[in-house]
Amino acid sequence: MVDVRLNATINGRKVSRDAKPHLRLLDFLRDDLNLTGNKEGCGAGECGTCSVFVDGVLMKSCLMPVAKAQGAQIDTIESLAKSGELSVLQKAFHKAGASQCGYCIPGMVMAATAALRANPFADREEIKERLGGNICRCTGYQKIFDAVELARDVQNGRVPATALLETDTADGEVIGKNVRRIDAPSKVSGRLKYAGDMTMPGMLHVQVLRSPHAHARIVSIDTSAALAIAGVESVITSADVPGKDGFGVFVHDQPIMARGKVRYVGEAIAAVAAEDALTAKRAVAAIKVVYEQLAPVFDPDEAMLQGAPVVHDYAPDNITKHIPIRVGDVEAGFAESDLVIEESYSTQAIEHAYLEPEAGLAYVDHDDVVTVVSPSQNITHHRHMLARIIDKPISKVRFIMSPVGGGFGGKEDMIYQGMLALLAMKAMRPVRLVYTREESIISTAKRHPSRTTLRMGVMRDGRIKALAMRMVCDGGAYGLSTEGVMRKAAILAAGPYNIPNVRIDTYGIYTNNTPSGAFRSFGALQTQFATESQLDIIAERLGLDPFEIRRINAMRDGATTHTKQTLGSVSLMRALDAAEQASGWEAGAPTVRGGTRGDLGHDDVRPSVTLGTRFAATGTQEAAE
Amino acid sequence: MLICDEYLTPASLDEAFAAMERHRGRYRVVAGCTDTLPWAREGRAGDVEIPVLIDVTKIPELNERQIGDKRVRLGAATPIQRFLDDAALGRAMPAMPRCAVWFADDQIRAQATLGGNVVNASPAADATPCLEAHDAIVELASAKGSRSMPLREFITGPGKTQLAEDELVTGFECDALAGFGGSFEKVGHRRSLVISVVCLAVMVKLDRDGRTIEDTRLAIAGIRPVPRRLREIEDHLRGKRLTGELLEEAADMPLDLVQSRSRQEYRRDVVRGFLVRGLIAAAKRAGASPDALTQELEAAYG
Repeated sequence: MVDVRLNATINGRKVSRDAKPHLRLLDFLRDDLNLTGNKEGCGAGECGTCSVFVDGVLMKSCLMPVAKAQGAQIDTIESLAKSGELSVLQKAFHKAGASQCGYCIPGMVMAATAALRANPFADREEIKERLGGNICRCTGYQKIFDAVELARDVQNGRVPATALLETDTADGEVIGKNVRRIDAPSKVSGRLKYAGDMTMPGMLHVQVLRSPHAHARIVSIDTSAALAIAGVESVITSADVPGKDGFGVFVHDQPIMARGKVRYVGEAIAAVAAEDALTAKRAVAAIKVVYEQLAPVFDPDEAMLQGAPVVHDYAPDNITKHIPIRVGDVEAGFAESDLVIEESYSTQAIEHAYLEPEAGLAYVDHDDVVTVVSPSQNITHHRHMLARIIDKPISKVRFIMSPVGGGFGGKEDMIYQGMLALLAMKAMRPVRLVYTREESIISTAKRHPSRTTLRMGVMRDGRIKALAMRMVCDGGAYGLSTEGVMRKAAILAAGPYNIPNVRIDTYGIYTNNTPSGAFRSFGALQTQFATESQLDIIAERLGLDPFEIRRINAMRDGATTHTKQTLGSVSLMRALDAAEQASGWEAGAPTVRGGTRGDLGHDDVRPSVTLGTRFAATGTQEAAE
Repeated sequence: MLICDEYLTPASLDEAFAAMERHRGRYRVVAGCTDTLPWAREGRAGDVEIPVLIDVTKIPELNERQIGDKRVRLGAATPIQRFLDDAALGRAMPAMPRCAVWFADDQIRAQATLGGNVVNASPAADATPCLEAHDAIVELASAKGSRSMPLREFITGPGKTQLAEDELVTGFECDALAGFGGSFEKVGHRRSLVISVVCLAVMVKLDRDGRTIEDTRLAIAGIRPVPRRLREIEDHLRGKRLTGELLEEAADMPLDLVQSRSRQEYRRDVVRGFLVRGLIAAAKRAGASPDALTQELEAAYG
């Protein structure tokens, strides 16, 4: 390997050092120079967390071989607040509440800086365009655009600089007030360390061998060739687990690495700790696994049939969890209804796509405490599970929650922390694992895909008399949060509506697909998508306003839910009023008005999506025309 | 992950050819790297070990830009962003800035090169239909000498070109089309960083009154293995009076353009709309007489 002798100016300082020729500029900045403010979110130029200035031009450092930076002036997020004083844009991000998880923010601040340098008077549309290469999953972007507009106006003297610091709070009052987030400065400056930014002396790098098969028996695993590679410190498989293997939020059905068989494509089989990530990668490639293919099952309805492949021996019917709810007499309710409508609904798997891929650091401290640092959304539960898995008293297991670069439920599962703990124990050195985006997508939980059949009986005046729902969810290969998701899906299936007769069945089913788990709303989305869609269909059939049919059936203060919970206060009526007003809704049934509706075509209706605002703004091409 | 033992940045064509000769069979030529690095990832090529990467972006000939009355010559390492930054270039190639604004995002087009986009030969490449509309000639060079050929002959299929193993694309020679109005229509799943489902380059030149189409160039991509020039439509429009009916007539010509494997019906609808919308936009930028096209037509295709 011929190193690249790199001479460059980085954040105003001369740098002259050797770099491995395969490194990307991002690797060089983060790993060799410890400039971890800019992040890696995708490694494929899609997300913009890695954006840095190269000779004043913003570029994606994950798409740039380090040799391209030869002789260049590189400025990272660390350059913007070098003296500790935040830039106007960084202050504006703080003021506007533009940072949430913060992982996209260094790149977003860089892109915003580039946008205002390109056009100090850019309007909101042009700002949107110029930030088009950066993704945020928390904010919905509006506060980010607010921040850039605020910074623009301060820079142009249209708004005083004091606007960056104003708060609504007086005398320490914060509830109901618009306050500045105390964690924002660390995020807008890139100084906050996520797990993948952390290092320790003597730290090893971890890579994971994953299953290419959806369902196969593991006949043998031979790690000898991997262990023979120089620089490889440890290799672990499920055989190395000292205690009772198994994790999960409700049922502990998932071993920290595949045990005996693999149940989905991407399941971890073995993990390697080595001096550097490339050596660990080569060691993973040298592990030999012999598989015996088993018949897989990918469809939850098929998995429920007699004779279907069994994913877990403990659940021969492949049912992870069935939640039944019975209220009143549903058949009698349908019989007395004026109208009974039955429809089917389905929803798909959804990836959380938090900007921070999973990462963790583990070590055994001086008191033999096995310590795992990771963006876990459930550290206490993880700690208890891990103690059992590694057969240690709880006092010898510690979990430290690193900043979570977006979770949305996707980081509730102890999907990799067990491997880190085992490797740290085996190597007796700190170990770090940083997932690639692809690894994150292939191996971690998704939103439960669902199929729902919903039957509703209503009176002509809109009152709902009966609801019968059956939802089958693909829970994938392991339980994770499936039980809780089925529970919440069932509890909320009938919506915030007074329905005297209810029959609900939700089923979480094992298949050989990627496991499903927690995701914002935790099951409510799937069932309520059906219920709310059905209400719209019924409103159309009955000639009722969609808001009205909801008001007719709405639970009010003091109502009792289908699961016998008494509600002290119910905000549904207020929510409906606010939604009706905000949407400019024209009252009436949604059946007959078509193109004549008065609530379409207003100024606040967004025009079709296009690009090119900058041509009008700068006149670069228009001048020629 | 793209793994190499050596990364070379030759400073001249001779150095590049010498490196290619020295590492024959063990190298890959790279330019902007914005396609190569994502290619070498899991789910596509996976981890790729290439002993030597030869980066051609520092070769002076590949960065040249000459604008003449008749022809424009651009080095192969021209970054896409240059079409937005260089006003003279934008005038000579009027659809290219419109294309560039849709190309990847602000950051990637500072790295991505025109030559890379062409050699990559993606059926959805955005720059190639523009070049095709300029009757681009591809310039090729090797240690043994140089040759050139029309772009439409150079790209032979998805990911396939006539580039020989020891050859480099050094540049492109294109028609200078100053005085034309240009537009670029593109649709995908989002605005930035999106692969074209359909993309269309349009250039229109009008007479002094802005009422007659003197000349026009159209080329489309994303809907067939290689980009296609729409000469039938150009011939139909050339010399005719600019009216909404004429543009719709052109869009309705039975050319059977869509040869995609998926979403054919959708793409056919898009192609028709794009043809009319692209022609309206290009004609307006070419100085169309305000009363040549009706407001209703613009609203319908806006």
